[in-house]
Amino acid sequence: MKSGALIFLAAFLALAGSWGGFVLAPQIQLGFNVQTNVVGTGELYPQARPGLAKQGLEVYRANGCVYCHSQQVGQDGTLCEIVLTDAGTNATATLAAIAKLDSELAKLDGVILLARLPKAILTVADMNAAEYALKALEAAGAKAETHLAAIGPDIARGWGRRRTVAQDYLFDYPVQLGSRRIGPDLANVGLRLPDANWQLRHLYAPQSEVQGSTMPSYRFLFETRKAGAKPSPDALQLPAVFAPAFGCEIVPKPEAKVLVAYLLSLRADAPLFEAPLTPLAGAAAATNAPSVSTNAPAK
Amino acid sequence: MNAELKTTSTIESEPTSTLTTLPMWLVVLMLLLLFWGAMSFDRRGGWFEPKVYGPYVSVPDLERFQPRDRGGPNLPRGKVVFEMTCALCHNSDGMGKPGQFPPLAGSEWVNAPGANRVLRIPLVGLSGPIKIKGQEWNLAMPAMGAALSDDDLAAALSYIRQAWGNKAPPVTAEKVKAIRAELGNRAQPMSADELLRLPEEMK
Repeated sequence: MKSGALIFLAAFLALAGSWGGFVLAPQIQLGFNVQTNVVGTGELYPQARPGLAKQGLEVYRANGCVYCHSQQVGQDGTLCEIVLTDAGTNATATLAAIAKLDSELAKLDGVILLARLPKAILTVADMNAAEYALKALEAAGAKAETHLAAIGPDIARGWGRRRTVAQDYLFDYPVQLGSRRIGPDLANVGLRLPDANWQLRHLYAPQSEVQGSTMPSYRFLFETRKAGAKPSPDALQLPAVFAPAFGCEIVPKPEAKVLVAYLLSLRADAPLFEAPLTPLAGAAAATNAPSVSTNAPAK
Repeated sequence: MNAELKTTSTIESEPTSTLTTLPMWLVVLMLLLLFWGAMSFDRRGGWFEPKVYGPYVSVPDLERFQPRDRGGPNLPRGKVVFEMTCALCHNSDGMGKPGQFPPLAGSEWVNAPGANRVLRIPLVGLSGPIKIKGQEWNLAMPAMGAALSDDDLAAALSYIRQAWGNKAPPVTAEKVKAIRAELGNRAQPMSADELLRLPEEMK
């Protein structure tokens, strides 16, 4: 072996190079992420998943949900819309201000333009342009808001409101990113389908909720048992085709309950610095909903 | 057998390799590809910045999409402060609890055009009889807002004045600061009569 040392060095460098690129660099880049504030509030993001949901992650993992469902939403771009909320008292001045901002809008009928507020009248390039437009509209006595929305195929499918970023997965171990989408993306399933009973019925018999669904049934997460004099409160309310034999009822096992708790805890829609977004209307205004709606227990 | 071997060894010379120059066009092509790659990385790569994800290309690009502080009330912050500090009693829907904690939603004290009176309640507390939405209450509220910063209290007050259908102008941090200074070290809670003697709007 004439050049053993050289071969060893070359092999070492090649391996060290790929380790540095695939392990060390991402670790330096993202490994020190900590909770951050949701933009504009003091709320910490992300919140650790509640205990049941944490157990649910194990069920999710054990059943290989990740092979058919991804948990990552993509985004092609960001729209910055000017939403006119109040035309003000001087419609002429408002229309003049709008015409100055966009000559195309000037050709439209002013009455129609100012009717049915709030409505998005303009799409601008960024928040600087939006700020300029807001100032112009406010000077005319109108009131407007900016609305930042993500666009892209995933957003259009309703799978999320913004792209997912590393911050969203901070407390998940292992992260169930997934790469195939035989089923829909689940990054925001807790936001899209917040009904725990729907989730349970769907796990038991997917076709009972989604016609033509190719998802396999997860009946082994449920127990069929003789119904007592009174049906148990957990029993699934299934359509006749999927209902169990007369006198029996379907009751979720703890695995199904924690899995649903996990699914309901999946949401990634907080506005972050790296994924700017205007929160849903009503998020800032009060609702009767608890502030952390992700902790809905699996019933 | 020997004859066969002989025929195979009739090749006249071994193939040799000499140092040949790389064709120039290949060098240029590779340099062009390198240049294109570097330009593309510079434009879209984000330079390994952990906060930059597509479709954004750089931190300045991201900053173009950050919400601007328009000097208005910070209602999202106000909601958080309200829910940490006030919602225990007044409830997150602002309805209070019957007989125990008066409502904020629709209350004429909260909805007064000027915040001069309502602002003092969280700063020093309130005790004694008070009439809210036509109902008599006689309770004591501690100075829940005294420990909050001016910004947080202003945000929370703006929030209660604009949430649940309330429609009153927001409260500024300057106003909170001024009234906090005016109240000084006062430990005694306000009474409704004392509040009513005050002007609704601070001059």
